[in-house]
Amino acid sequence: MVAKGEMVYAWTSDADIAAKAECGGAVTGLLKFALEKKIVDAVFAIKKGQDIYDAVPALITNPADLKDTAGSLHCGTLLLSKLVKKYLDGANNMKIAMPVKGCDMMGLYELAKRQQVNLDNIIMIGVNCGGTVSPITARKMIADKFGVDPNVVHKEEIDKGQFIIEYEGGHKGISIDELEEEGYGRRSNCRRCKLKIPRQADLACGNWGVIGDKAGKATFVEVCSEKGANLLEQAVKAGVIKTEKADPKGIEIRKKVESAMLKLGDKWRAKDFEGLGEGRARLEKIMKETSRCIKCYQCIDNCPICYCVECSTKKPYLVKPGEVPPNFMFHLIRFAHISDSCINCGQCQELCAMDIPNALFMHAQQTELEKMFGYTPGVNMDLPLMALVEEREERDRLSATGSDQIFDIFK
Amino acid sequence: MLEENTMDVKYVQTTCPYCGTGCTFNLVVKDGKVVDTAPYHRSPVNEGKVCPKGTYAHEFVNHPDRLTVPLIKKDGKFVEASWDEAYDLIAKKFKQYKPDECACLSSARVSNEENYVMMKFARGVMKTRHIDHCARLCHASTVAGLASTFGSGAMTNSILDIAESKCMFILGSNTFEQHPLIGRKVMQAKAKGAKLIYADPRFTPTARQADLYMQFRSGSDVAILNGMMQEIIKNGWEDKEFIAKRTKDFDKLKEMVMKPEYSLENVSSISGIPVEQLKTAAEWFAKAESACILYSMGITQHTTGVDNVRSVANIQMLTGNLGKAGAGVNALRGQNNVQGACDMGALPVVFTGYQKVIDEAAHKKFADAWGFPDGICEAKNGYEVTTMMDVLADKPGELKCMFIMGENPMISDPDLHHVEKAIKNLEFLVVQDIFMTETSELADVVLPACCYAEKDGTQTSTERRVQMWRTAQAPPGQAKLDWQIMSEIAAKMGYEKQFAWKSAEEIFTEIAKVTPSYAGMNYERLNKPEALHWPCPTVEHPGTPILHKEKFAHPDGLGQFFAVEFKPPAEVPDAEYPFILTTGRCLWHWHTGTMTRRSDDLEAEEPTGWIEINPEDAKALGITDKEIVRAMTRRGEVNVPARVTKNIMKGVMFMPFHFKECAANVLTNNALDPIAKIPEFKACAVKVEKIQGA
Repeated sequence: MVAKGEMVYAWTSDADIAAKAECGGAVTGLLKFALEKKIVDAVFAIKKGQDIYDAVPALITNPADLKDTAGSLHCGTLLLSKLVKKYLDGANNMKIAMPVKGCDMMGLYELAKRQQVNLDNIIMIGVNCGGTVSPITARKMIADKFGVDPNVVHKEEIDKGQFIIEYEGGHKGISIDELEEEGYGRRSNCRRCKLKIPRQADLACGNWGVIGDKAGKATFVEVCSEKGANLLEQAVKAGVIKTEKADPKGIEIRKKVESAMLKLGDKWRAKDFEGLGEGRARLEKIMKETSRCIKCYQCIDNCPICYCVECSTKKPYLVKPGEVPPNFMFHLIRFAHISDSCINCGQCQELCAMDIPNALFMHAQQTELEKMFGYTPGVNMDLPLMALVEEREERDRLSATGSDQIFDIFK
Repeated sequence: MLEENTMDVKYVQTTCPYCGTGCTFNLVVKDGKVVDTAPYHRSPVNEGKVCPKGTYAHEFVNHPDRLTVPLIKKDGKFVEASWDEAYDLIAKKFKQYKPDECACLSSARVSNEENYVMMKFARGVMKTRHIDHCARLCHASTVAGLASTFGSGAMTNSILDIAESKCMFILGSNTFEQHPLIGRKVMQAKAKGAKLIYADPRFTPTARQADLYMQFRSGSDVAILNGMMQEIIKNGWEDKEFIAKRTKDFDKLKEMVMKPEYSLENVSSISGIPVEQLKTAAEWFAKAESACILYSMGITQHTTGVDNVRSVANIQMLTGNLGKAGAGVNALRGQNNVQGACDMGALPVVFTGYQKVIDEAAHKKFADAWGFPDGICEAKNGYEVTTMMDVLADKPGELKCMFIMGENPMISDPDLHHVEKAIKNLEFLVVQDIFMTETSELADVVLPACCYAEKDGTQTSTERRVQMWRTAQAPPGQAKLDWQIMSEIAAKMGYEKQFAWKSAEEIFTEIAKVTPSYAGMNYERLNKPEALHWPCPTVEHPGTPILHKEKFAHPDGLGQFFAVEFKPPAEVPDAEYPFILTTGRCLWHWHTGTMTRRSDDLEAEEPTGWIEINPEDAKALGITDKEIVRAMTRRGEVNVPARVTKNIMKGVMFMPFHFKECAANVLTNNALDPIAKIPEFKACAVKVEKIQGA
């Protein structure tokens, strides 16, 4: 009997998968099992595109195709959650299994609260994520800092605080700290991320804490839900996944790795948020940075919190159409609608045509709001702050102030 | 509960069909139809980012207005026809005319392969020397100007290289709106400490980011550049070593720019830019470790277009800003494949790779390679599109038959009344396009073509990077690939053998064979995210992101200075038409609007045109914001909403040219640059009146 809360080392008995996948191929093995046994209709995952810097989302229905999704791609910076809403009808008409990193999972929770995806139909196989590197940054970093032609690199990984590459004729690792001090390394939202082990998924998988003779040959799996327990149990029963109890020392090590990552996340938060200044200075900084906005709508299109059919930023009485840069109201609407629930996935910054640090602005506000109201987005089905507000009551309160300003920040 | 059709979702990587930046994105294909765009993070050019036109590039693809069947005009009305009927009619008609009675317009919107096929069709099937396309209207001056100064008429550096610059001078380009992802590179350079100098009659979104903004009167570019060069020489800031080793005729340039006419005081009165600003610009520019110029239509679309381009080349040679990182002459090409259409020889003077039509050896090379049993067009330059229109309008009967692929001169060309007269003088007009346009309305036969989402092929971006389109969906109705249509017409006319390709890739292989600068390219190499920059002469060659590193492309390897005198625009304001009218694009729309105006999200941003008027001018005319006014030039008049804004210089007015209901080109002047034959879209004299009784 596999139960919620259990921690095991797991590996696949499928030799093909084991050859291609990492850490014993438990994740790919579980996905394949779910698909073959028709527990799900499809697997939605990332596969390698043109090279190791190119991650492509793939909806897979043929179990044989799953081998293309095996292995990690740290240059895969895309967020799968919004794609489930946009292109898979929110998983309302099919059951899917998805490998999810922390932000994918958090995005799914926030979309589920807004009834944009149906979590009942999704099996989330969480994978530990220490952060991702944008493809072009990675290539530049490999050329400049590693002195290696990025085209000859066939594998990259992040392990023990290092970014490691393997290429024809060698391998090389450089500490992430050093790379990031010099402006390379992980995306800035990933540096601030504090959801490294996605325990709110159905299973949380990764290589942290796999020690002894299983090191590198098995995946650490924490069972996080009944759904996860069922899947693992069936797979074990069918003989496609082998498990053994996780070594208590390994469990300790996993915790240590996690807490080191979380500390690093806190360090980056302090540094990034401090750089934003406070109050008026922060507002001025945001206004200056957003003055180069060309209203490409990528921040909205790719945000896992945005789901409105009629977007307020497209209401002419709120944001005058055609203006470049758009009136600051454009950004204020985003802040008002998203900041309580921002999961810091980084898409709004990653895809901003003008490199406006949108994710930083939003994340900074989210952490303030979390302190004020205690709402943590992305980790359960608790409703966001705005959903709990009594509109009439709030309007009365505002009306009683005799002003249209809730906070007069310019005083 | 599982619906079969929800299981088919795929991403198809492709290149943007709008501007010349060459951004890559994915088309999202669901149930066999393009439904969205999605980021392609792996592109070295745009890293997954796009502008609004990229975001909504899927919206027009399956629009109900798409042409789906061939149409033949009978008794003034279009009637649906079979492909065979249409082909029979076209073949019969095309055969009736002498080569010199025919003209072809190729397209900067379609692929290299399709431009090549049109070029081969014009010169081999119709045997006409008259082939051109809308590059004439945008960068003809660049091609002519840079070819004469550097020996090669293309952008010298790469887009990524702009981010390495220490000083950027943007003159005649509203980069943030017209090439937004190049604007991003400008901001990256700025973030690393580079200075941005920006000159424009309008305080545009680009101007907002400038360290030095110089507002100037449209058309005074040569004066400004000569003035800056005088200031640089006066202070001894020129790059003496570069001038000595890599250029010739510096003395002639020096003599010209040192004339008192180009003192900063005098240039200030010509251009309207304060002396102090000109001084600062000259100093920043000359003293920077590397300085680049970004320009676009503001430089080229003048009767002095070639002069303007040569002046830009002059200042870059003077300061040694060529052949190195962060420097160069960055002529930003407007359309997705205007570079490629030129490279493919869709011009009246060259075959592919700028091999001259009048060069006997080149002519023989193509005649032999193609093997038309009855030969090809004579080895003589043909008419430019602007000349074609003049000949049609003014000498009826000389040109009788025209074949247009993917162009809409009835909105895009200057002086639309003149264009209409010209096109109506044709006896037989065939247009192939994806939508019914103002031009195809006048055609005898209209053929439905595929859009970018429905074809494989390559296009060459402004930085000479050759990138791929990939088929994402089937064409609507009976629409066909442009190259396939032309090949089938050719076959009907007896030239099946010369047009026997089965795929775009086969056409590309033929292009590489006859084009030295593309010789090392093939689909396998181009399919990589980095693709290749021409020149790429061999399959081992890595391509050439920066031109003129060691020497220029002239036989002697030297850069040629040209002493250029300032000349005012062909039409300047006077008592009757007291304002300067300049035209351009906006961020949301594309040229004649056939695609973007059918994209709901883009159309919602700017649903119609406008004329920008400075508040002081508006006050003097008694005009208020949003009022419909009458704008008039010697060519025509349009009613258009006024946009009263302090962002435009007093005395200058601006209109975007996308909107047929208030078409700016009814007003523009068909005066041409004597060398490049490019019209002066950027300056003419205009008056604006209140509409009485309105």
